[in-house]
Amino acid sequence: MTNKTAGMTLIIKTVTRLLVGLILLYGIYIILHGHLSPGGGFGGGVVLALGLLAVLLAYGREETLKWLRLGLLKDVEQASPLIFLLVGLAGAVWGGAFLANILSKGKLFALLSSGLILPLNIVIGLKVGLSLFLVVLAMAEFDLDKGAEE
Amino acid sequence: MTLYALCFSLFLVGLYGLLTKRDLIKIILSSGIMGYACNLMLVLFGYRNGGIYPILEKGRDAAPMVDPLPQALVLTSIVIELGVTALLAALAIRLFQKYGSYDITKIRRLSG
Repeated sequence: MTNKTAGMTLIIKTVTRLLVGLILLYGIYIILHGHLSPGGGFGGGVVLALGLLAVLLAYGREETLKWLRLGLLKDVEQASPLIFLLVGLAGAVWGGAFLANILSKGKLFALLSSGLILPLNIVIGLKVGLSLFLVVLAMAEFDLDKGAEE
Repeated sequence: MTLYALCFSLFLVGLYGLLTKRDLIKIILSSGIMGYACNLMLVLFGYRNGGIYPILEKGRDAAPMVDPLPQALVLTSIVIELGVTALLAALAIRLFQKYGSYDITKIRRLSG
């Protein structure tokens, strides 16, 4: 905690450590309740990205990359459009049209009451959250003297 | 009608900044303000006096509600605006790397 280069002060690091779980939990809540209340994949994904960005701001790049596995995040971010496409094609094969519902609709106002919308919301939330985080991370990593490295 | 006029004046604020500022960051912010004014205008088009939000909830009867279509369009527009802003910021970073300045009057060499 004494080296000045990595991240911000002890107060900010402690508060971030306490809050980041709650922020991520709130993002997951917004994603999962997207069909019942305002919110959904995009809003929840932005909340997820802001939780990760709070860690990035408070702890600096090296600590954050030690905590997160960047390769896995990139894989998930790049695979999520493919999952979306596969879900849509599954609707086309079994339901008759692209993105047609093939799951049970359940009871009204229950959590599992929206058929395909819930998995699609989860995919969109992952895509938005991770890509927003990776965009800011790429801009933070950008070296003004050497240029882009990726 | 006053609300539409205020929306338009917000758009003009963004346009003024876009045309008169020399700092690239301020130009990016101005284009963001223009986008927000457009989004606000679109949402206002779907507004309806006394309308409630268009979500069916437990224990609530059907009632006059605001139009959900402009809101869905504006959500898409916000996403695209986010991407455009990220692209503009990346371009500004590249320009800063080449010229060492965000001042557009100093960025005048055409050949790269």
